[in-house]
Amino acid sequence: MNWNMILYTVLNTAFVLLFAPLLVSLIKKVKAMCQGRRGTPLLQTYFQLFKLFKKEIIYSDNSSFIMRISPYLNIAFLLVASIFIPIVFIPAQESGFGNIILFLYLMVCARFFMALSGLDAGSTFGGMGSSREMTIASIIEPTTLMACAAIAFILKTTNIPEMFGTVLDGSILQYPTLFLVPSSLFIILIVETARVPVDNPETHLELTMVHEAMILEQSGPKLALMELSYGIKQLILMALLINILFPWGMATDATAAGILISIASFIVKALILAVVMGVFESFFAKIRFFRLPDFFMIAFFLSFATIVFELLS
Amino acid sequence: MIDTIIFNDIIHGLFVLILGTAALIITQRSLTSLFNIYAAQSLILAVMAIVLFIEYGTLNLLFIAILTLAVKTIFIPLFLHKVLKRISVKRDLQFMFLSPASSILISAILIFVVYLFFTNIAGDLFADRLILLVGVIGIALALMGMMVIFSRKRVITKTVGYLTMENGVLLFSLFMAEMPFIIEILIVLDLLMIIVLSAVLAFGIDSGMEEFHKKLNRLGIWIED
Repeated sequence: MNWNMILYTVLNTAFVLLFAPLLVSLIKKVKAMCQGRRGTPLLQTYFQLFKLFKKEIIYSDNSSFIMRISPYLNIAFLLVASIFIPIVFIPAQESGFGNIILFLYLMVCARFFMALSGLDAGSTFGGMGSSREMTIASIIEPTTLMACAAIAFILKTTNIPEMFGTVLDGSILQYPTLFLVPSSLFIILIVETARVPVDNPETHLELTMVHEAMILEQSGPKLALMELSYGIKQLILMALLINILFPWGMATDATAAGILISIASFIVKALILAVVMGVFESFFAKIRFFRLPDFFMIAFFLSFATIVFELLS
Repeated sequence: MIDTIIFNDIIHGLFVLILGTAALIITQRSLTSLFNIYAAQSLILAVMAIVLFIEYGTLNLLFIAILTLAVKTIFIPLFLHKVLKRISVKRDLQFMFLSPASSILISAILIFVVYLFFTNIAGDLFADRLILLVGVIGIALALMGMMVIFSRKRVITKTVGYLTMENGVLLFSLFMAEMPFIIEILIVLDLLMIIVLSAVLAFGIDSGMEEFHKKLNRLGIWIED
């Protein structure tokens, strides 16, 4: 562990923590504007987190220690995963760091503890949410694995920073098969962040909710941690998509100017992607639960086709 | 002539789009968007023919592009939309034998099997990797069209499946061999005939195949069972 790595870890984590809530409220704002409403201010998610951190925590009598530790575990797993996705600059290679398979397992661990905490309080809604989440997960995980396998196969590495570096060095035109990957990554992004064709992030009141049902029993600072980790998950998946497809502007070494440029360019790209996601969500109605596999299968098919394409070219 | 790398990139990109449209044709339920996707797929083929024309300068390819553009992206979808206005169905919700998810899975397997076949059995035929890719995608597209034909219940969706198959064959022929232009025209004429016949004959085009057989039975045209 050298100073470069420590600087990278601190900067990247700080950026993710600070920037994630903004994207959550931006997507809400875009959706509101699509519906002809004015929407909440852009800083609303920050206010909300701030408010929640000051409130007291109330647990259900039936809940166990799982309920108490899962918000910490959840955010810890996601923060470690966020270090794997370079945003501020691409650090020099360290062994065991940035492996895409480990990254996926970290995300799955976070999901597992979230589902457990949904079950823990013993409320009907939480249990339903967890059961649905696991059903969806069992279908989307193979798709996610296939998409990551496709990226790793094209770029000939399983190391995420190295992938970004490879795409950054050559143009995307050197890897024409990479054009197929973003569409499956986008579908995965929609599913993992519980957005409209799959789940509705707006409401606690629908019987069809998935993500919101699991965190229904959390309160106060614990709820704030859960919401923050949702924002982080969304940001790192967006960063994965952005840095594979549009890596331009990323710095490869830790100079002040380079870091500023890569942060600024990432913010611009992320804001554009957030607007796209908001508009995409406004165009769709929620898909019936049992028809969801059709939606995922398109992503699976595209990732599989990517691998065959790469075999052929 | 275009730069070889850029040419390869463009062709690859177009192939990606064709596969995407094929996946959508397999899963899409709304008939209107089904026709639009078919039109888009044909448009991509036309663009591909134009790119090939710019690269190789064969006049045939330009004619094929114009023909595809006129007939398959404009005329046939328009005609199908017109038929759709007459009949009562707007969606094809019925799938036989396969659900959309499993047909997508099967088509992924199909692509892989065709790839294995081409590399192992007919590998020596393809000196150029691009031609190999074309062969795999073209044949896979035709097979996927076939799958649409047997997994959908409505006659009008089956027609789209048939059209997709023909697109696969066209894709194959664009790269594979110099096909005489007159044969291309004949194929397109056949397509038109099939569209018109399936619309006119199948006054029950809005019904399933089984009901259609019953109607023909009543007319005494359909003899067996």
